[in-house]
Amino acid sequence: MSMFEIHGGFDGLAASSRVRLARNIKGYPFHLSEAQHKEVADKVFAALQANPTIGPEFTQKQVIPRSTEASQLVEEHLISPELAQNGGWLIVSNDGGVAIMVGEEDHLRLQVIGTGLCPKECLQTAERIASLIEAALPFAYDARLGYLTACPTNIGTGLRASIMLHLPLLTAAGEIGRMTGYAGSRGCAVRGAYGEGSKAVGGFYQISNQVTLGASAAELTDQLVETATAIIDAEKKMRERVRSQDEDALHDRVWRAAGTLRSAYRIDTAEAVQCISDVLVGLQMGLLTGVEPQTLYRLEQRIRPAMLAGAPHERDKKRAALLRDAADGLTLQ
Amino acid sequence: MKCEKCGKNEATMYYKENINGVTREMHLCEDCAQKENIGGAFESAFQSMNHFWSDPFHSFLGGGFGSLWNDMLGAPTATLLGTERKCPTCGMTESQLRQGGRVGCPDCYQTFADILNPYVEKVHGAKQHIGAAPAAPEQPKQDPVEALRAQLKTAVENEEYEQAARLRDEIRRMEGGQK
Repeated sequence: MSMFEIHGGFDGLAASSRVRLARNIKGYPFHLSEAQHKEVADKVFAALQANPTIGPEFTQKQVIPRSTEASQLVEEHLISPELAQNGGWLIVSNDGGVAIMVGEEDHLRLQVIGTGLCPKECLQTAERIASLIEAALPFAYDARLGYLTACPTNIGTGLRASIMLHLPLLTAAGEIGRMTGYAGSRGCAVRGAYGEGSKAVGGFYQISNQVTLGASAAELTDQLVETATAIIDAEKKMRERVRSQDEDALHDRVWRAAGTLRSAYRIDTAEAVQCISDVLVGLQMGLLTGVEPQTLYRLEQRIRPAMLAGAPHERDKKRAALLRDAADGLTLQ
Repeated sequence: MKCEKCGKNEATMYYKENINGVTREMHLCEDCAQKENIGGAFESAFQSMNHFWSDPFHSFLGGGFGSLWNDMLGAPTATLLGTERKCPTCGMTESQLRQGGRVGCPDCYQTFADILNPYVEKVHGAKQHIGAAPAAPEQPKQDPVEALRAQLKTAVENEEYEQAARLRDEIRRMEGGQK
C-alpha cells in the first residue's frame, strides 16, 4: 500500500478526484527565472526530505520543455500542459498521488489525486504536505486575502477541488443543463471533461469549486462533495428508471458494447468512448462483471488520437487492440 | 477563418499561451503552426487534457480576466507617458495588470488594491479569507530571568537606579523561587 494512494467510493460513477492548492513563496515575485525555479524546487524538496517518514516517498525531476517525458507526465495527469510546454520542476510521490509543480503561474501547484469520490481525503493530504513545506518556506499570505496567487481568481484558499463524474444517462435524458444550474447555485461548476459543454463525449464531466475566497478549503470541499453526491444520485435514479422502463433494451445495449470492445479489429475514438461508457454503466448496474471501472477510466484517456501514434487507420487498429486486451475479462451477467 | 500568419490556408489550430501574464492567441493553419513550433502532436496531445488543469473561471471569462475584467474596468486609464502607476516591488504597470489579468508579486495586491479589491469581491462574492493560515512562527521561549537581566542591564546603562534595584530584587526573588 503506497503512502499517498487514495481510493474513494462511487467507483462506477466518480472516476477520480483531485485537489490542487496554489501557493507562492514569500519574498519572490510570482514570475521566477529558471534558476529561481530550481532554487524553489530544491528548497521544497529539502523541506520534504527533512521529514523521515514522508521524505523517502518523493523524487524531484526537471521537466524539459516539450520533451517526450513531459508529454508522458501530462498523460499521467502529474503536470499541466503549460508546465510541459514551458518547463519547470516536478516533485512527485512514488505512487503518483502527490505532485508538486514548480514553474506554473504560481510557484507551487500542489496536487493530490485519488480514484473515486475522495476530495476530502485528498485535501487532508494536500494540507499536510503544504504545512510541511510552509514550516520551512513561508508562503505569501495576507490576513484579509489569504494565500496570494498570480491570478486573483485563485486567492484565499488557493483551492481547486474537482471530481470527474460519469453521467451518461443524465446526458441522454437532456438533464445536464439542469444539473449544471443546480451545481452553479451551490458554487460549483460542471464542464464536459473532454470537448465543450454539451458535446461531452461518453458523458464524462468535471465538477469543481468556483470560488476560492470566503469559505475554508474544507467547507468548499464539503460543498463540492454534497453537490456531486446529489448529481450522482440523480444519475443512479435515471439508470434505474431506464432499467424499469425497458430492461431488455438496456441489457442489449450494454452487452453489444461489451462485444464491440472484446472483438473490434479497428474502432474510432467516438465509438470506443461510447462503448466504454456503456460498459461502465453495465458494470455499475450488475449487467457485466470482470473488469475494474478504473481500468476503463484509464483506458478512456489512453485511446485518444494524440496518445496513439500513426496514421488514422493505424490508430484505429491500435485502439482496438488496447480495448480487446482490457475487455478480455468482461463477463455477461 | 484564414490563418493569421500566412493569410492563405484555412486556420485549423487555435493556440493560446500565457507567459508572464501576457496572453497571446492565434488561429493558425497546420503549416504555420509547425513553423512556429506550436501545435502539432505535442500540443494536440494535451487538448483532451486541458480541462483537467484549467480553472473554470479562466474559461468562463474567456481566458485571463476576460470579459468580466473588461466589463468591470473598461479600458486602462489614460496616463501620461512615464507617469503610469507601477508596483514598487516588481515593477508591474497598471496597463500590464489590466492586459494580462495576473499580478506580478504579492505586493501588487496593495499597490493596485483599488483595481483588485472590487474585482476579487465580484468574482468570489467575498472579501475576507477564511480557513488555513500560516502557523504563527514559534516564539523562542525566553527565560524570564534572562529577560529581567536584560532589562536590568538597560536600566543600569540608563542610570535608572531605582528601576535597577527593583529588577535586581525581582531577579533574586525568581531565582530563589526556582530553587
